[in-house]
Amino acid sequence: MKYVDEFRDGRLIRKAAEEIRRLTKPDYHYRIMEVCGGHTHSIYRYGLKDLLPENVELVHGPGCPVCVLPMGRVDDGLMIAEQSGAILTAFGDMMRVPGSKGSPLEYKARGMDVRMVYSPLDALKIAEKNPDREVFFFAIGFETTAPSTALTLMRAKAKGVANFTVFCNHVTIIPPIRAILDSPDMRLDAFIGPGHVSTVIGCRPYAFIARDYGKPVVVSGFEPLDLLQSIVMILRQLNEGRAEVENQYGRVVPWEGNLPALRAMSEVFELRPFFEWRGLGFISQSALKLAPAYADFDAEVRFEAPGIRVTDPKAAQCGEVLKGVLKPHQCKLFGKECTPEHPIGALMVSSEGACAAHYQYTMRQSELDLLEDA
Amino acid sequence: MTDLRRYGTCTLDQDGCATCGDVGIPVRVVSLSDADEALCEDRDGRRAAVAVAFTPGVAPGDVLLVHMGVAIAHIPQDNA
Repeated sequence: MKYVDEFRDGRLIRKAAEEIRRLTKPDYHYRIMEVCGGHTHSIYRYGLKDLLPENVELVHGPGCPVCVLPMGRVDDGLMIAEQSGAILTAFGDMMRVPGSKGSPLEYKARGMDVRMVYSPLDALKIAEKNPDREVFFFAIGFETTAPSTALTLMRAKAKGVANFTVFCNHVTIIPPIRAILDSPDMRLDAFIGPGHVSTVIGCRPYAFIARDYGKPVVVSGFEPLDLLQSIVMILRQLNEGRAEVENQYGRVVPWEGNLPALRAMSEVFELRPFFEWRGLGFISQSALKLAPAYADFDAEVRFEAPGIRVTDPKAAQCGEVLKGVLKPHQCKLFGKECTPEHPIGALMVSSEGACAAHYQYTMRQSELDLLEDA
Repeated sequence: MTDLRRYGTCTLDQDGCATCGDVGIPVRVVSLSDADEALCEDRDGRRAAVAVAFTPGVAPGDVLLVHMGVAIAHIPQDNA
């Protein structure tokens, strides 16, 4: 059977949508959070919302590390790189992210040596080719991305590369989910668990959501049928009064995760006592920093991070959107002051932020007209 | 041979917003260059060196999911 037959076949998709309709009770409003930005993107891209009954609501979660990074951290990274005269290396996704004095791309336009890299391993290669220059890597991402930074640092240490530092902004997915669950305005029934984060961490870390909060979790793939099947699995759990962690994405996600990657992460990183998330505030043990054995490569140890704090505009309601209390278009700034071209709030920054995806895929002309008239 | 798109639609050229963590580019192993690196090919035939330190036992023909130049998941040929 060809791939397209399996996961995009209209007949199978309609069948899954019918099953969802059959499993929903008309007098209940279901609220299911997809944690991962990639799922948010798929839901909009394939118009899955239109296939669901009106009382099944998908709530977009905090799964976009670019969106949740406080502006002050962007400023810190850019300032360290500027003051040390380093070559700043970063993923393409980081290039447009605004600090209070501009994005890495704007710093590049002002003369800073900024280079886009595909992998942190490429940043290390730049350091090896430029032994007389400091090379600074702006690390960001969830547990999917942290192993690549860990591997890079292990190689840098083994090779004794002395001119390479990492500004670590890796975050972990479980603490923000817990923060959302503990939030007094939380009104969620279940979670669609992230796909590729789970290839690394496995399914076990979600067990507390089912055990302690009584909410089903289904780890899902990214295709339209994957997501609809995951919703079917969630609805079956809810109807049967079960709360379990299930794995719809078994063709990719092993239950135990990727043990060699987890071992590398535990060697290279340790948990920060707390870390600030845009829109969610400070969350304890929600981010990684370099372990003492890797202090020589830690930009925050080698150079002093200014610890800049930039307050987001009060009118931006990113926190409420992240927690699923508000829909993107219900924020006062959405589509007016805050657009993908000029993002003000966290969720408009990257293409997979909930607001950017909503803007890109669902803003119909009539809605835009209404915003202009407002 | 299973279509690589069974494991995701990204290619080495088009990988969306990688830091959001949803990106796992499915590639097939062409050859092993050394213990920690493999030459891999995506569904468009584009090739790249991929670090395989976290996917032990990789063999030519296996499918890997690649994130930021590093394989994070391994689907052996028998299952691919």
